[in-house]
Amino acid sequence: MNAFLDSLGLFFQDMFTYAIVAVFLENTIFSRALGVSTALFSVRKKYNVFLFGMVMTGIIALSALITYFLYPLVNRLSFSYYVIPAVYVAVISLVYVGALLITIRVARKRREEILSIIHVSAFNCAVLGALLLASNAADITLGGFLGFGIGTGLGFTLATFFVRLAYEQLSSRDVPASFRGFPITLIYIGIVSLALYGLIGHQLPF
Amino acid sequence: MRRSFFQRHRAAFERFDGILLQNPVLERGLVLAPVIVASYNYRNSLVLGLSFILITFVTVLLSSFIPRRIPYTVRTILYTLIACGVFAPTAMLMDQLFPGTVLRVGVFLPLLVANSLIVVKSESRFHKQSMGRMILDLFCNTLGFCLAILVVGILRELVGSGSFLGSPVQGMPAAPAVLMPFSGFILVGLLAAGVKRLRFRLENPGAGREEAAGNPD
Repeated sequence: MNAFLDSLGLFFQDMFTYAIVAVFLENTIFSRALGVSTALFSVRKKYNVFLFGMVMTGIIALSALITYFLYPLVNRLSFSYYVIPAVYVAVISLVYVGALLITIRVARKRREEILSIIHVSAFNCAVLGALLLASNAADITLGGFLGFGIGTGLGFTLATFFVRLAYEQLSSRDVPASFRGFPITLIYIGIVSLALYGLIGHQLPF
Repeated sequence: MRRSFFQRHRAAFERFDGILLQNPVLERGLVLAPVIVASYNYRNSLVLGLSFILITFVTVLLSSFIPRRIPYTVRTILYTLIACGVFAPTAMLMDQLFPGTVLRVGVFLPLLVANSLIVVKSESRFHKQSMGRMILDLFCNTLGFCLAILVVGILRELVGSGSFLGSPVQGMPAAPAVLMPFSGFILVGLLAAGVKRLRFRLENPGAGREEAAGNPD
């Protein structure tokens, strides 16, 4: 019984640690720029940030769970580098179709909105990138894999929320026309990324 | 003079918009991750740019033969799986041409299989055009990405490492912070503003300031 509780504790400890790493240290947008286009698209189209983030987190977490069990099998192959993207895309496809079917059957409120969010959030760099990055971590446990997936989704939500907060101002007529909208938003993300870089204790290399 | 030339030949120029004025990276904000994070020298940029051209061009071309009567969800999955099929020989070719660089660009090379031009723009743009027009538009868009990533890579290498195309530049101080992702965001933002300004000037000849011309955002 104690051994079971210990391993359960270790599972949640790993999950929490990797989730925190993925939200702050390796934020999918501010540190890796993965999913920036998707985040900008969701802000422009005025999707509900938290609903979008929730769907994205669910898709990444489920894909990570399946990928954890498949990765050791694929990694044995001498040409694994070339087939891993296909395997991960197949996993994401499975989760994508599953999510659509569940939404059609279960969701009563906001069904159309959730369906359109699933279409946008399934195939993008944030989802595939999270799986590829988690696979690169040496000796990562199931808790770690799942935690990294959940953390990536939460980090994406947090970053999208930050962009959403500023987007109206960054698109206003107070900003010079050449910079208005997309260019100044990228510069804004860069400055927040620099702030986060300093906040987590990095020193600038010059 | 140059502006009026653009106005007179506007229709012809529009066919090649994907290269600069409708650049997928600098104007439409697509496929940003490899440009912002992995292109900190010309070699990485060249590998990613060439791989992008091969993967995207072949995938969109092949996927145009997938019948439209197949549901949208299945079509999207098929596009991405075709991209995975094209990725393998492309990565092998890049590994032969630029030994070691494929590993250095990390996850950003396999990530090209899920790029927005394949997943989103295949449906909403390329497959709506005639075959000839699609090939030209696709080529211009992929070339536009390649040029954008090369410019970013060369600039960051020059300022961040003090070297040009791999060779150290005499007396050029290095600012390694330029190699970090936050500098990538800022540099791409500045370049995007430059492209937008150029577009305003070309599209509104005679307007001294784009604000005066009342350009929409």
